[in-house]
Amino acid sequence: MLNNIDKQLLKTVADMEGLPKGAYNIRKNGKLLQRQTSANIDIETNAEGTGIIVTIKPGTKNESVHIPVILSEAGLYDVVYNAFIIGEDADVTIIAGCGIHCGTSAPEGHAGIHEFQVGNNAKVSYVEKHFGAGEGTGRRTLNPTTKIFLAKGASAQMELTQISGVDEANRVNEAILGPDSLLLITERVMTEGAQTAISTNNIILQEANSRANMISRSVMKGNSKQTFYATMDARAKCFGHIECDAIIMDNGTNETMPSLKAGHPDAELTHEASIGKIASDQLTKLMSLGLTYDQAVNRIIQGFLK
Amino acid sequence: MLELKNLYFTVPISDNGNSGERNIIDGINFTFEQGKFYTVTGPNGSGKTTLAKLIMGINPISRGAVYYEGRDISSLTITERAKAGIAYSFQQPARFKGITFRDLLTMATGIEDEKQLMDIIFHVGICPMSFLDKEVDAKLSGGEIKKIELALTIAANPKLAIYDEPDTGIDLWTIGPMVHLLKKEISRHPTTTIVVSHNRVFLEAADVVLIIDKGKIAFSGDLTDALPFLTDLNVCTYRDSCGGNPDAE
Ligand SMILES: Nc1ncnc2c1ncn2[C@@H]1O[C@H](COP(=O)(O)OP(=O)(O)OP(=O)(O)O)[C@@H](O)[C@H]1O
Ligand SMILES: [Mg+2]
Repeated sequence: MLNNIDKQLLKTVADMEGLPKGAYNIRKNGKLLQRQTSANIDIETNAEGTGIIVTIKPGTKNESVHIPVILSEAGLYDVVYNAFIIGEDADVTIIAGCGIHCGTSAPEGHAGIHEFQVGNNAKVSYVEKHFGAGEGTGRRTLNPTTKIFLAKGASAQMELTQISGVDEANRVNEAILGPDSLLLITERVMTEGAQTAISTNNIILQEANSRANMISRSVMKGNSKQTFYATMDARAKCFGHIECDAIIMDNGTNETMPSLKAGHPDAELTHEASIGKIASDQLTKLMSLGLTYDQAVNRIIQGFLK
Repeated sequence: MLELKNLYFTVPISDNGNSGERNIIDGINFTFEQGKFYTVTGPNGSGKTTLAKLIMGINPISRGAVYYEGRDISSLTITERAKAGIAYSFQQPARFKGITFRDLLTMATGIEDEKQLMDIIFHVGICPMSFLDKEVDAKLSGGEIKKIELALTIAANPKLAIYDEPDTGIDLWTIGPMVHLLKKEISRHPTTTIVVSHNRVFLEAADVVLIIDKGKIAFSGDLTDALPFLTDLNVCTYRDSCGGNPDAE
């Protein structure tokens, strides 16, 4: 059953108030808690028993599937392998996310390895939020990996967010784009205290007319540190763009390494990167509207990570 | 309602190893009266923006004082001055990420209600309704962001409104209504209005024209008397557009 902490975590990572409509699979402390399938969306445990396979029938429209993970067991490091097979012409939303509640000094962690096969002309929107909470001092680690394969004309929109409370994160996103496919990744990571986060992104624009846009927004508070790697590897006539902005607060540090590889003469690749404190003209503007300095800082960060 | 007393803004300069000081605002004394329309002009780099920022508290005063409604506000923060009823439209407005015009309007007015926000936009008239959910980011055109900047100041219902070059980038069809709007606000509240501009329509609209040159007030008075100064100082757009003759089109 869901206790209050579970409910709180589910609300934060998956916007769930009670059980969602449609298909879902809730995993708690390494075990299946509850599952529901729908006429078009099937969920089954994989052969090895290490995760789930979500199969979405071709042509499924406007349906969603929630697959949150919650952790509140001291000392547990939960690893899960999930596969998503999205049929041709489907248009679906997948809401994932992991919330850790740490009540003791023992570490807790989760590694979710998510693989997406997006069929011809299918569209998927994937929303993933990571969050740590609890009064315990144990290290909270979240290491998500997403691997995306886009078939002809497929598109995927990935919204990946690490909200707060995660001590260590090693994030990996990999994608291979088929012909006429489109990938949009927006990653937002906020760290504070002594937290560290590394994000490694490798996007291969394999086929003609594929397009990818990777946006990264990082905020480092306290003494936290983030490292961001992103590679767009173009192997056909294609378009790729990386935009990575980092805001440093307090004594945070950041390394950002966008890289572009054009292996085809018609590849068009661009990137924009910036690291810096909150722009003073933004602060001044909001203060001139009546906000205090602290309110202005919070509002700017809130927008930046929106 | 606003009194500048022996106001200085001084910055350190170093020239070939010699360090010294430069008075960007160089001892300004002036009193602005409630409900009047002031247009401040003067050559590029003469100190107009710096003066406006001293009034808003964005630049620290080096020497002298600013009195507002009879009280010395020289040590108040920007926030406190905003709360006291001073609003400021920047010459170069800030651009954000993830903040919309709606968000800024709510910050300026405390109003979240959709209907009331639409009423404000309708009242201002300068910005189409479709602006409401536009992000105030690098994608806005120069004119669009200036319209938003002006609308925010009017929405705040200030007692003292300062507009730093509100007309730059604004299309010809909007400038007339803009002047009309500022005048309407003056008669409604009455808002004391200070506009920094080189534009003839703002000079003509003003009760008082102020000419700043090298950090000092070179002239204050009505436009007719200001004309010889304007020609002397080569205040570019005015002269270019009418050759120094106020009747020329
Ligand atoms: N903080 C500062 N430190 C050093 N110099 C400054 C500072 N602020 C302004 N200045 C200088 O003071 C001068 C006046 O600047 P200001 O922006 O007030 O001019 P302005 O009259 O508004 O010009 P424009 O018509 O081009 O807008 C400029 O030469 C500028 O470089
Ligand atoms: Mg200026």
